[in-house]
Amino acid sequence: MSDPDRVSLAFIWDTASPHFSRRTFMRTMAFASAAGFVAACGSSSKIGTGSSGSTTRPTFSSKPEAKLLNFYNWTDYIDDKTIPNFQKQTGIKVVYDNYSSNDELFAKLTAGSTGYDIIVPTDATLVKMKHANLIQPLDLSLIPNVKNLDPRFRNAAYDPGNQYAIPWQWGTTGIGFDKKKVGGAVTDWDAFQLPNVKGKSSFLDEARDAFAMALFALKRDPNSTNDTDLDDAEKYLTDLKKKIKSITSDYQDPLKSGELLLSQAYSGDVFTIQADKPNIEYVIPTSGAFSWVDSMAIPKGAGHPKNAEAFMNYILEPKVGAALTNFVNYGSPNKAAQPFISKDILTNPLIYPPADVLAKLPFQKDIGEDEIKYSDRWTKVKTA
Amino acid sequence: MDEGQDGLSEIEVEARPPPPPRRRRLPDWITGNLLLLPTSVWFLFLLVIPTLLVVAYSLGQRGVITPVRFSWGHLNFSNYNLALNPLFLPIFTRSIAYALVSTIACVLLGFPLAYWIARFGGRFRNVYLVLVIIPFLTSYLIRMYAWQFILQRNGLLNSVLGAIGLGNDHTFLNTHFAVILGLTYGFLPFMILPLYASIERMDKSLVEASYDLGHGKTSTLFRVIIPTVSPGLIAGILLVFIPAVGDFVTPELLGGVKTQMFGNTVYDQFGSGNNWPLGSAMSVLLMMLILLGVFVYLWRVGEEAL
Repeated sequence: MSDPDRVSLAFIWDTASPHFSRRTFMRTMAFASAAGFVAACGSSSKIGTGSSGSTTRPTFSSKPEAKLLNFYNWTDYIDDKTIPNFQKQTGIKVVYDNYSSNDELFAKLTAGSTGYDIIVPTDATLVKMKHANLIQPLDLSLIPNVKNLDPRFRNAAYDPGNQYAIPWQWGTTGIGFDKKKVGGAVTDWDAFQLPNVKGKSSFLDEARDAFAMALFALKRDPNSTNDTDLDDAEKYLTDLKKKIKSITSDYQDPLKSGELLLSQAYSGDVFTIQADKPNIEYVIPTSGAFSWVDSMAIPKGAGHPKNAEAFMNYILEPKVGAALTNFVNYGSPNKAAQPFISKDILTNPLIYPPADVLAKLPFQKDIGEDEIKYSDRWTKVKTA
Repeated sequence: MDEGQDGLSEIEVEARPPPPPRRRRLPDWITGNLLLLPTSVWFLFLLVIPTLLVVAYSLGQRGVITPVRFSWGHLNFSNYNLALNPLFLPIFTRSIAYALVSTIACVLLGFPLAYWIARFGGRFRNVYLVLVIIPFLTSYLIRMYAWQFILQRNGLLNSVLGAIGLGNDHTFLNTHFAVILGLTYGFLPFMILPLYASIERMDKSLVEASYDLGHGKTSTLFRVIIPTVSPGLIAGILLVFIPAVGDFVTPELLGGVKTQMFGNTVYDQFGSGNNWPLGSAMSVLLMMLILLGVFVYLWRVGEEAL
């Protein structure tokens, strides 16, 4: 046996240390678990009974807000001049911060007060936040420019009447593909059946998005809660699963590197890849696709809700909205901004689809507890 | 061995002159428990209570808006029935298979290395050990992303194979191979370190004695070296197998549509599967199964090891 005083890194793993008895260890652990159980009994009966706070926000009309606005937005999603011009106009100082996924944003908000006054979640996450009581209703009297919105965004299924959110930019959930390698025309969801893409395609790791793909392909309502529709969609996805490479929302790099040739994808992501790799293209499937929209909302407990509403009103000004869209290349929900948006964007059918295509681009509907119908079938698809 | 030491210390105590009267101190058992207090509090809040919460969740009702509804009056055991659904069996056996293969690979890779460092490392031993640990300083996620770059179609591995004329269009990523490779790579240090500790303390003369008594190299390995270092080997196997069987990051990043592990299924229940009670029940079952397996394993194989 070696000298016990010698220091060696590996001794942290030493399992045969002489002063360690299993019995004392077990006894101590038993004591600790008993204590833990007692402690947990007191608290665990409250599991899941989240605070159901009021839906109207407390008003402190007498107290003016500090000239400050904490803005939390997606990365690379704003015109260089949007914020400086707002600061010049209003004297409100904007602190700008970025995130890169809805999950990140949701996790931060659930964890507690973030200090942010404006966030920009995508519609499905917005609905989740509304249910989880994480955002507060807007005072539309402070946002008169809401009249500039395209009617499509005034009474959308995810937020009827813009009670909680003002849309920022929108796009679609279609197909991104490598036009040189797929070996055929990609126009609809059946492109997954092209021989060249067998084992080299992916669909999104999001229950509603994946099921919508199947429901569109089967010519059913993409927001269906009908069991027969959903069973058929489940079978469609289970069959399709045998022909694809992965179920993932991280398709950008594989698509860029050629690992994937065809993916169910968000329009904006594909346009970003396209800037690097011109042979990657995006298509809105002819049988239809979901629209997504990122919207500005105010987290519950935000310190400067009035400044946030002033900012929303500012974004809805025609020229501001147009400059934003001209810079980031997504669709603008702002109808009044259209005369100032560049011709290239307005005539791009993938960003501004013609009316007949637009009719097949519904929003994801808030289906409440019926979400479980999707979740359970999604678990079956993923484990099949 | 222990008895000998205890006997020796007793004799020493008796041989000393009676101690002078001292200040009153806390009894030993209190001092001992005080030393244990910080860790106990830590374990209590970060292990025991969370585990009990998982157990409580597993007996709750699911919901969409509030993910779990729990009440003492309506303990819901059906989640366990659901978790035992044969639907999940293939994924479960796959997880066990991945973890077993990775553990075996870790033994085959780790044993020679640990042996070499312990026996032939000389004064650089600690340097070698640091080299084993260095990958730990990088996030596991980043290391798995690095493997993506190596394994992807236009990645490093395919370029190297292409350069030596073996073709450059092999599929490595999103396969069983990729996941097992990732698990093996990720958990290898957990095998090397305890093995090293055991081998390092092994009496070298045992090997010489074995040779002197006419045993060959293979026979010495299996009848002398391995039995002697078995505590380290057993610890290594447990430290690799247990985290590997519950892993979900590796199959998520390196795997594909046919490589989902049990951990992914559990993870999904807290996300898109939207069934926290089911996910909790699955975790509890997996935990119990692993604990049971470990106890049986230690009882049959390594009674004297821990």
